[in-house]
Amino acid sequence: MTTKISFLLNGDKISYTVKDHWTLLHLLREKMGLIGTKEGCGNGECGACTVIVDKLAINSCLYLAVEADGKTIETIEGLASTDGTLHPIQQSFVDNGGIQCGFCTPGMIMSSKALLDENPKANLEEIKHALAGNICRCTGYIQIFESVEAAKEPVVENKGGQNE
Amino acid sequence: MNNYNVVGKRIPKLDAAQKAMGRAEYIQDIKLPEMLYGKILYSRYAHAKIIKIDVSKAKALPGVHAVLTGKDVPKKMVMGFYKDNPPIKKGKVCSFRDEVAAVAAKTPEIAKKALDLIKIEYEELEGVFDPEKAMEKDSPLVHEYHKSNVLKLPWKLHYGDVEKAQKEAAFVVEDRFSTTWVTHCCMGTSGAVALFDAYDNLTIYSNTQIPSLAQKDFLDALKAMGLENKRARVIKPVIGGAFGSKLDTYAYEHIAILLAHKCRKPVKITFDRSEEFKATSTRQPAIIYIKQGCDKSGKLLFRDIKMILDNGAHTSWGATTPSVMMMPITSLYRVENVRYSAKCVYTNNTYAQAMRGYGNPQATFAIESSMNMLAEKAGIDPIEFRRINRNQPGDITPQNFKITTCGLDLCLDAVEKELKKNDSKEQGVGIGVASLIHVGGGARIYKSDGCGAIIKMDDYGKVNVFTGGTDMGQGLDNITAQIVAEELGLLAEDINVVHTDTDVCPWDVGAHASRSTFVAGNAALGAAKKIKKKLLKFGSKILDAAAADLVLRDRLIFVPNDPEKSMPIDKLLRKTHFSPGGTMLMADYFYDPDNENLGKDFQGNMSLTYTFGVHGVKVKVDEETGKVEVLEYVAAHDVGQAINPLLLEGQVYGGVIMGLGYALTEEVVHKNGEIMNANFRDYKLFTAKDAVKIKAPVLETADKAGPFGAKGIGEPGCVPTAPAVANAIYDAVGVRIKDLPITPEKVLAALKEKK
Amino acid sequence: MKPFKYLSPTTVEEAIAFHVRHSQTSKYIGGGTDVIVKVKGGFLEPDYLISLKKIEALSELHKNEATGELSIGAMVTHATLEKSLMIQKEYPIIYDAVSNIGSLQVRNMGTIGGNLINAVPSADGAIPLIALDGVALLHGPDGERSVEVKDLFIEPYKTILKSGEILKKITIQPQAPHTGSAYIKFGRRAAMELPLIGIGVLLTVNDDLVTCAKARICLGVAAPTPMRALDAEIFLVGKKIDEKTLIEAGKIAADESKVRDSVRGRAWHRKEMIRVQVRRMGLKCLQMIRNNG
Repeated sequence: MTTKISFLLNGDKISYTVKDHWTLLHLLREKMGLIGTKEGCGNGECGACTVIVDKLAINSCLYLAVEADGKTIETIEGLASTDGTLHPIQQSFVDNGGIQCGFCTPGMIMSSKALLDENPKANLEEIKHALAGNICRCTGYIQIFESVEAAKEPVVENKGGQNE
Repeated sequence: MNNYNVVGKRIPKLDAAQKAMGRAEYIQDIKLPEMLYGKILYSRYAHAKIIKIDVSKAKALPGVHAVLTGKDVPKKMVMGFYKDNPPIKKGKVCSFRDEVAAVAAKTPEIAKKALDLIKIEYEELEGVFDPEKAMEKDSPLVHEYHKSNVLKLPWKLHYGDVEKAQKEAAFVVEDRFSTTWVTHCCMGTSGAVALFDAYDNLTIYSNTQIPSLAQKDFLDALKAMGLENKRARVIKPVIGGAFGSKLDTYAYEHIAILLAHKCRKPVKITFDRSEEFKATSTRQPAIIYIKQGCDKSGKLLFRDIKMILDNGAHTSWGATTPSVMMMPITSLYRVENVRYSAKCVYTNNTYAQAMRGYGNPQATFAIESSMNMLAEKAGIDPIEFRRINRNQPGDITPQNFKITTCGLDLCLDAVEKELKKNDSKEQGVGIGVASLIHVGGGARIYKSDGCGAIIKMDDYGKVNVFTGGTDMGQGLDNITAQIVAEELGLLAEDINVVHTDTDVCPWDVGAHASRSTFVAGNAALGAAKKIKKKLLKFGSKILDAAAADLVLRDRLIFVPNDPEKSMPIDKLLRKTHFSPGGTMLMADYFYDPDNENLGKDFQGNMSLTYTFGVHGVKVKVDEETGKVEVLEYVAAHDVGQAINPLLLEGQVYGGVIMGLGYALTEEVVHKNGEIMNANFRDYKLFTAKDAVKIKAPVLETADKAGPFGAKGIGEPGCVPTAPAVANAIYDAVGVRIKDLPITPEKVLAALKEKK
Repeated sequence: MKPFKYLSPTTVEEAIAFHVRHSQTSKYIGGGTDVIVKVKGGFLEPDYLISLKKIEALSELHKNEATGELSIGAMVTHATLEKSLMIQKEYPIIYDAVSNIGSLQVRNMGTIGGNLINAVPSADGAIPLIALDGVALLHGPDGERSVEVKDLFIEPYKTILKSGEILKKITIQPQAPHTGSAYIKFGRRAAMELPLIGIGVLLTVNDDLVTCAKARICLGVAAPTPMRALDAEIFLVGKKIDEKTLIEAGKIAADESKVRDSVRGRAWHRKEMIRVQVRRMGLKCLQMIRNNG
């Protein structure tokens, strides 16, 4: 009951023989030692385990590892650049109070990234809708919204020329 | 205006980057060599005799290292201040969450399988699930040896003469309110890893908020196991939320210790989410009978409160919430005649622990709802009514609380201004306010309210602060760093705060009562002051200047306006260290605030200062569905001085949203002692889509006693939310909901009854 | 989880063949958001999970521009439906329902077919499809058959699907002009909800824009399975759609329902919500019809 899979993980090509009943969360945390992704409930009800698969945010606690075959997967460990610079979303969460205990943070950041990658100009309603599946008990969400808003690409205003 | 360099600045949480990268290690992430996994088996009944337990099949399962039942627990190993809670029950079970067996195995899967192989024969007994019923003569007894379901606790006070005051009152209101079980829902579930060294010394990793007191509990546990004169080391991993849930020690910690000792290997127990709901403790539910009265001019004359508290099957801190409920009861607003009594009653339900506010939210719900009812009867505007009765600096309350700084009037003004901005009287829209008082300068609930700090400064101008305090995400690390940096002329990033290890860190009574900023902050400040004195002494020598002329700022020591007399602090340190008779820089300070324990009559200035606040809310009630929408929320707090406004806002926002869940949607649903909604789908805490916009004006009254004038803010955010909302609903549609949570059903039912 | 073998057929026939071979111990899996939860909880213990993910034909979302027929493959995810501009514009009742199922993460994985097969009383996925008179195409060891979506459900968690049958797609015929549709999921909080009650209304009116030609009033959590409030529908047909008739329709629908108490809500409140929301959704439909001219 094992299957050989290969997939892209944070840009690296990975080959692994997984047991069919492993979840992606189990593969990441227990087998590959990537502890950044958290288990908050195990039932797809809290979002702490959110990773991005083929650009879509999913709950890795319900996603079977075998189905990762051929996919492109992003986890929190892959966000910062190789020189250590935080991804703008990570930096924004740091700067704007979006992180207290930090347990929901990896999932929250991955959900935010999936959103902004698809919809860089997402407004507050769209941010709330995208993060509705990520529970935070510490922040009350407000500084999380502020973090995501601040991480959006700045709107370049066309000042226009005015000849006196 | 303050010219602080670091204090008062919006400095991001110092460990946020680690957390943002997924590198923070929580209890779930800890893996030790040879570690085994423990799992606990819980009762299948609310109340039953244990007739027989057969663990033979479980023991025989390959990969199982130990199986424990109640008979394996040393007789003297009992948890809780009331000592009625062995970590594994023996003889009978009194609630669904009673632990009946535990297993340690090579993998969590094997441990789970082993639990399924344990056969227990029960004889079901009649249970009692209503505390008022449990007080009746013919009620089943939860603990036969206790002879009564009512706990022997001293919660009773009477100041002044309530009977006389009631006779003199022009207006009196009397009512019954109730709050139910809600729970912490920390995103990181509970867990512990216990291990022994070759000499039977214990190390335990745990999400505790009380490392020093936990250490004591574990030493008691070791003693009960026959291990005298051993060491117990408590190490905190990064904590995934606490909110009061870790203010007591738990069965799973004691069981991990027993298993680790039996197996001679580290044992890790972590809860899954269902277990977290079912087997951790809740907020204390309360049935509150309240009577208040005032004279014709609106001056409060008396407050008379009786409470019945469902104690559940065993006792933790929930049974002590009356000692904190006394605070708003005797001291929220000026009221001379106060009477209060609370009965804690055993039932076969789950039991309560500390939870953010520690009884204050429950008492304040009743008091502040009742205040509006009284105001209405007296024909006075609710905000004006509060102004008439507000606390003022210099007051000494009936409980002998000495009010030093008090910004209640400023908070009332701020909230009124905000709420009345768009004063459109739209159908179904209403506003409501509620105030709070909370301890803001420590809370002497134990023999000591102290916290120690040790500062070590190295040759590079970097500082390590070893504090007894605990950071569980609220930001004690930043507060400590900013206070020390300000005092020593450094930057926050130069300070490393170590709080994680009882082998290294000094004593602290615990991260409760919003005391961390005040007490741990003052401890760090005290140690920093000592270091500063030494720095100025060295600087005076090396720069040839009077110590009084020297300034420490931005990593420099200098005489202002004298460019010759300036040196980087780290250079000064190296010069001082590497010279004959050199010295290193370390200092320690134990700060135990000059507050008082409550006496036999519960009088005593429990805290050195008190935090005040007012919350105001505008709601829209859908009169056809009963749904309540929060349109605006303003939470004004008198915090003394905001050490870090960014993190302070985080505490207020988080507290308000938690408080709104408590007011509107959260409930641990029980049916005959069994929890019916042990998951995030059916336990309705607020999601991102439910979050409301919150304005959080901060009123700074600069309290002399606090570090840089600061008072505590961790809990106030969730204290007055429920009455503010209840008052707003009444203003909107004329119905008053007195039982939390305020669900659409309750509102709709009340509206129909009104018609 | 109890270990199982994961199979990945690429055609419906292959999937059915697998199932026939291991019929007692195998289960089809779509997005996994229901099946994996059940396997984790020990409610399902299959030896084989037969994934439908690699069967391309099941993932098609397609509107035939010539005939106007909408075809939704069973493996189309809720998120795909939510993001489809065509669905948003032309089938707002589907959009209303799917856009609030679970969370975005769950919607990215969960499929419309899986939601139907799971047959929960709350039925956010089923209600709009019933209102639109959707027809399900089933394919099993005995061949293909079509079943109206409204007839799929026997009782909670049980459909009429025979062993080995796969739900392939749902087809929806073009709606008449002057049709409006809306769905509301009523719960305690704004997201991550299993609803207290789910109400879907679809109204078609005549050219006078006011006389009801067709009414569908579909309720979730109002009975063990998704139901149509037939008496209320019959009442509306031929009548002038306005506040008054919708109030009456709401009353009739509430009386027809078989609501009960549960952890999530009380029966009397559910009945009230049916009464109120049928009227409100009906008015929303009317507004939609008027806006579209």
